[in-house]
Amino acid sequence: MTDKLRLPAEETYAEELAALKASDAGQKPAGWVMSPQSAVTYLMGGRAGNGKEISAKYIGNKRLIETAVATLATDRALLLLGVPGTAKSWVSEHLSAAICGSSTYVIQCTAGTDENQIRYGWNYAQLLARGPSREALVPAPLMRAMEEGKLCRLEELTRMGSDVQDTLITVLSEKMLPVPELNTSVYGVRGFNVIATANNRDKGVNELSSALKRRFNVVVLPLPDDMEEEVRIVSQRVGEMAQSLELPAPKNVNEEVRRVISIFRELRGGQTLDGKVTLKTPSGSLSTAEAIAVVVGGLSHAVYFNSGKLDAEGLAPNMLGAIVKDPVQDTAVLGEYLETVLKKRSDYGAYYRSMLDLI
Amino acid sequence: MARETAYFGIRHHGPGSARRLIEALDALDPALVLIEGPADVSELIPFLADDAMVPPVALLAYAADDPSSASFWPFAEFSPEYQAIRWALARGKPVRFIDLPVSWRLKPPPAEDASDAPPTDEIEAPEISGAPEDAADPPLQDHSRDPIGALAHAAGYEDGESWWSDVIEQNPDPGPIFQAIADAMGALRTDAPPLAPFEAAREAHMRLEIARAEKETEGAIAVVCGAWHVPALKEKHSQKDDKALLKAPPKRKIAATWAPWTSQRLAFESGYSAGVAAPGWNLHLWRSPDADAPARWLTRIAECLRAEGHLVSTASVIEAQRLATALAALRHRPQPGFEEFREVATACFCHGEPLVWQTVARKLLIGSDVGSIPNGVPLAPLLDDLKRQQTRLKMKPEALERELSLDLRSDSGLDRSTLLHRLAVLKVNWGTLQDAGKSRGTFRERWVLSWKPEFAVELVENLVYGATIEQAAAGRLSADLAQTIALPDLAEQVHRALTAQLSDAAAFGLRRLADRAANSSDCTELLGALVPLADIIRYGQARETDTSAMQRLFVRLAIGGALALPYAARGLDAAAAQSLGSSVHAADRAFALLEASEDISVPWMRALHEVLASAHSTPLIAGLSARLLYQANELSAEAAANELARRMSPGTPLIDAAGFFEGFFEGKADNLLHDEPLRHCVDVWIASLDEDDFVSLLPLFRRVFSALDRMQRRRLIASVLGETQTGVLEGLMLVPEAAEAWPAHAAMIVKILNGEGAP
Repeated sequence: MTDKLRLPAEETYAEELAALKASDAGQKPAGWVMSPQSAVTYLMGGRAGNGKEISAKYIGNKRLIETAVATLATDRALLLLGVPGTAKSWVSEHLSAAICGSSTYVIQCTAGTDENQIRYGWNYAQLLARGPSREALVPAPLMRAMEEGKLCRLEELTRMGSDVQDTLITVLSEKMLPVPELNTSVYGVRGFNVIATANNRDKGVNELSSALKRRFNVVVLPLPDDMEEEVRIVSQRVGEMAQSLELPAPKNVNEEVRRVISIFRELRGGQTLDGKVTLKTPSGSLSTAEAIAVVVGGLSHAVYFNSGKLDAEGLAPNMLGAIVKDPVQDTAVLGEYLETVLKKRSDYGAYYRSMLDLI
Repeated sequence: MARETAYFGIRHHGPGSARRLIEALDALDPALVLIEGPADVSELIPFLADDAMVPPVALLAYAADDPSSASFWPFAEFSPEYQAIRWALARGKPVRFIDLPVSWRLKPPPAEDASDAPPTDEIEAPEISGAPEDAADPPLQDHSRDPIGALAHAAGYEDGESWWSDVIEQNPDPGPIFQAIADAMGALRTDAPPLAPFEAAREAHMRLEIARAEKETEGAIAVVCGAWHVPALKEKHSQKDDKALLKAPPKRKIAATWAPWTSQRLAFESGYSAGVAAPGWNLHLWRSPDADAPARWLTRIAECLRAEGHLVSTASVIEAQRLATALAALRHRPQPGFEEFREVATACFCHGEPLVWQTVARKLLIGSDVGSIPNGVPLAPLLDDLKRQQTRLKMKPEALERELSLDLRSDSGLDRSTLLHRLAVLKVNWGTLQDAGKSRGTFRERWVLSWKPEFAVELVENLVYGATIEQAAAGRLSADLAQTIALPDLAEQVHRALTAQLSDAAAFGLRRLADRAANSSDCTELLGALVPLADIIRYGQARETDTSAMQRLFVRLAIGGALALPYAARGLDAAAAQSLGSSVHAADRAFALLEASEDISVPWMRALHEVLASAHSTPLIAGLSARLLYQANELSAEAAANELARRMSPGTPLIDAAGFFEGFFEGKADNLLHDEPLRHCVDVWIASLDEDDFVSLLPLFRRVFSALDRMQRRRLIASVLGETQTGVLEGLMLVPEAAEAWPAHAAMIVKILNGEGAP
């Protein structure tokens, strides 16, 4: 038992990793701790060579994970794109844990990230005492990953400024980081590579320059394909969050989750679930994460203002907030959806009325 | 030369099979080549040697008295059968088909015992019926079993397709592959359930044909057939048993010819059960046998993407190839297949967006090749069909123009009209419909008929769409529909499909229309599609039409249009306002025509109210909305007058006031006759205009008031100015010296009219 709130992937799943490594028959690329096939098995679940059960870390399309692993095997950098809540960071963490045995070389990119946090900084006491020297240099995770031949993870790449992003170009194309102050360079050791994650439908981010974009192979992680899977994810997460927020969950929460998800999926997918009617899609992403937020918001409304009853009236304002991101366009889209689809469904009558009142 | 019969189990439309087959034929040098194909149409084989015969083409066989029951055997450039035939013809070797004659496949005469009939799937879908069933495809009778799938599973693959590709199609060094395939199939067939009677009969027929050939021929014989059949053909069966299976052959006269085919119809997704997943990819594999095939394919992808306006650098192509190799290695495949290339292209060229890949996927994987056939090919089933219908309907093709009036209530009239409409869809304009458009809603059609010899040629060109006039018309219209984007055009084509009684094409069109409508938010377009639909729904009764789906679509389009209207009405220039105005007007008429239900009228009226209420709406549309609301009693006379007074008050810019006035009264000036408050508003406004403004608005006034007839104009003037008993208008006085002044006045007017300078 540990006191740490959360352990990195390579410690949580140490047994599975060990089993896979022990029974790995495949050829390993230089610097990898296991073969690409085993890495895919680690992510998708299955059985190790010695029969140990491997749990699935990513539920979804195996082909995407194969493309991601193959990309890293070609020493080209990997960019995972997707809307929030599609397990980008989760996949990136597990990929690094499986491939190089460590998922802790992380740089969280923000609007405030500067070049020193990407390349290296200085220990100023040392710098003043002895002048520029290797001892005075404080390497950032990227530089350490290069020297040690590990995978470096860049989270939310597009959140940092374009000029800082472009620092990566030399690193990605020449696998080399110049240190002009010491008139030297750090060269990437075999096994070094970069996994970046970014949000592809976010606003207020810094688009990647095409020079940088070209140096990544891009894998887009989609939203769940399957209604049941999504309902399960949402119900589970809502349950966890309700517990941690100390909100008692009413009995009908699962039915309402199902309704919210089906509305989300229909609008997001651009057609009704029975596939009979094509619909316009709103500008927002309507991700699983937003569905979770809607239901949790509804729960909190139910507990504090509606004597514990979770109903359409409480959920509707939250849904409206999630669906209507552009007041003109999205209102028209939602209006059409309400009039042509929801109006005819008797069991969605409450949603139809309460959302129509609000737009 | 050794007497030897070699069996080559191939996969239909497999380029790897084709390549191995050619090599094997070169090595064996047979004296006779036998191919799995209908034995009674072997005389058509030599046409394949003609250079004007460009695959994809299909062997088309049909019952001579009923072309709608037809079978097709498609051949692509990469089909092993096609290559084997070309191989034999080029060397002057005899080549024959050995499968059951065509008549066995066609719909049997009703008297025949059902158990001898081919499986029902094959009867109901004529296009599929002819497909020689694929080795990779389970026989149609038993869907639970998939021979290649079983082999693939044994080899640790997820699906049969990629296993076959790796081992046969893309394997650069497969070894004695045909022997291996035969062994594998033999192993699979030992566990297989007994064959359906039709399959057993086919194999019996092939065995008998092979035995006959062995007797007649000196030298080696090559048998090219689907891999699945090889063990059965090799087995020893007594000729007596085989003949017993072939008792009572169906007697039916058949006709056969070559028809041009398309690469789309070689694909699985077109419903062709022996089709391939990606004909474009197969063609690429056939044409690029060398080691640089992956690079060629990636370059083609890059080219297509560049043509779509995406930036794809050569460096990306290099990276893509490296990734493809890595991915294939990860999946234990000897070479990347089209699935790997798809994922690679998405990751390296399309920035991970599958949608970008989708824009070029069809072009690359399916292709848009259309085959062509030489002139000498006999018999065109479409002409046959036309002749038969002409006889049945007693319509002679005559070069001289002749008028034909049809009563659609009688069967013969309806059938004749349907034939002419279908021919029109095929661009064979034998008949020209007089006053088209006006005839809707009547039971009469007037046609002018005139046959031209070139129609025969044009008709034959349509063979690619189908073997009968009905099928070809439906196929052609569906192809057109798939290309059409604008909603009003789509609605118009649905209307054409219905008048030509092509219900499948109409249903497809409606689906297209629904999909497009959902993605369109262009109000003019949405409203524009309503008019043709309203016509069909209202006047559809002249022909038997099911309009319920259309009614639902109509409601959707109407609601979509109504929701889009308030925003669409904002900030338009004169031309755009005119065009939206006429759409709104037409839509409103369509609603009136159909006596629209509340589902439509409530949102529509709400939209009109919103347009009227918003200060951003273009005045012309606001005026039109006000009038439509006024006519529908949604706006009281008093409210309308108030609105008019406000919109045309001195504070409003002249141009806005004029726009509102135009919208309200254009084509409907008689409102002024009946409604005193409205008239008063207009009167006050016009009287308030100064001379320059008045002159600049004269064309508008002329447009509005010229819609009134003489009497109405008189009544209007009278009601504005008041009328005296004498017939002279009150408030007007005769000028005393008018009689003297008039000649001078008239002379001046004539001068001006002749352009001799202004006074």
